[in-house]
Amino acid sequence: MSVTTDDLNAITEQVWLSYLDPEGLHPFLPSPEAPAPPHVIASVSVTGAWEGHVVMTFSEGAARLSTSALLGMESDEVSDDDVADAVGELVNVIGGNVKSLLPDGSLLSLPHVVTGEAGAKWPAAVEICRLQGSWQEEKIAIGVWTSKSTGAGE
Amino acid sequence: MKILVADDSRVMRQIVTRTLRQAGFGGHDIVEAADGRQAYDLAVAEKPDLVLSDWNMPEMTGIEVLRALRAAGETVPLGFVTSESTDEMKQMAEAAGALFLITKPFTADTFADVLGPILG
Repeated sequence: MSVTTDDLNAITEQVWLSYLDPEGLHPFLPSPEAPAPPHVIASVSVTGAWEGHVVMTFSEGAARLSTSALLGMESDEVSDDDVADAVGELVNVIGGNVKSLLPDGSLLSLPHVVTGEAGAKWPAAVEICRLQGSWQEEKIAIGVWTSKSTGAGE
Repeated sequence: MKILVADDSRVMRQIVTRTLRQAGFGGHDIVEAADGRQAYDLAVAEKPDLVLSDWNMPEMTGIEVLRALRAAGETVPLGFVTSESTDEMKQMAEAAGALFLITKPFTADTFADVLGPILG
């Protein structure tokens, strides 16, 4: 049992239609082009029967646009705390849906959000699939990482 | 009616409240809880007519809140609104006495279908 980029695409479409683009005017557009280093990184971890991470990365503009869409506010009105809450909830929703594709007996963590250019690394895990692209010209990527000790190569 | 919305994300509490309105349930009083402990306390103190609870929250998870309420003799109707919906979780929710489990992302149509029979 594993997760593919097609799975991420299907989950992302549902999230966009429900919360970020209910009118269907600004869909997320997948692209093979690797995004620039992100400004905001949001992740949830899965432990138990399957171990790994679901990681969502945003340009600064993408994080603010997502937050303003979720809160129904103008993007220049959102605070840093709003951004952390909003992107954390987005990765929680996507991570929860990813977890439903994984073996029973796994637990989902609360979200972690890192802001700034320093980046974040998961040295004990490998990326097994990734969806990247743009939303209203701003870059977003979603990756699923599995722990090298438990899930690599499955 | 009074509805208790429990989710550790303020953004999600706002989305749930907005979706209730879009589904035609805008006239109800909304009480918010930001973690599981607060959800339990407010469910006891405020006597809501319905609790909409996240599953994965700090302090107490949603399923712990439900079990604690039932153990205390509280019979308030409770349904989960959660990003996770494995068969394992659905069985746990049902066994503990949950009315339903709505999966995030949800739409106003989902809320109308699931909550219509309860909220009228």
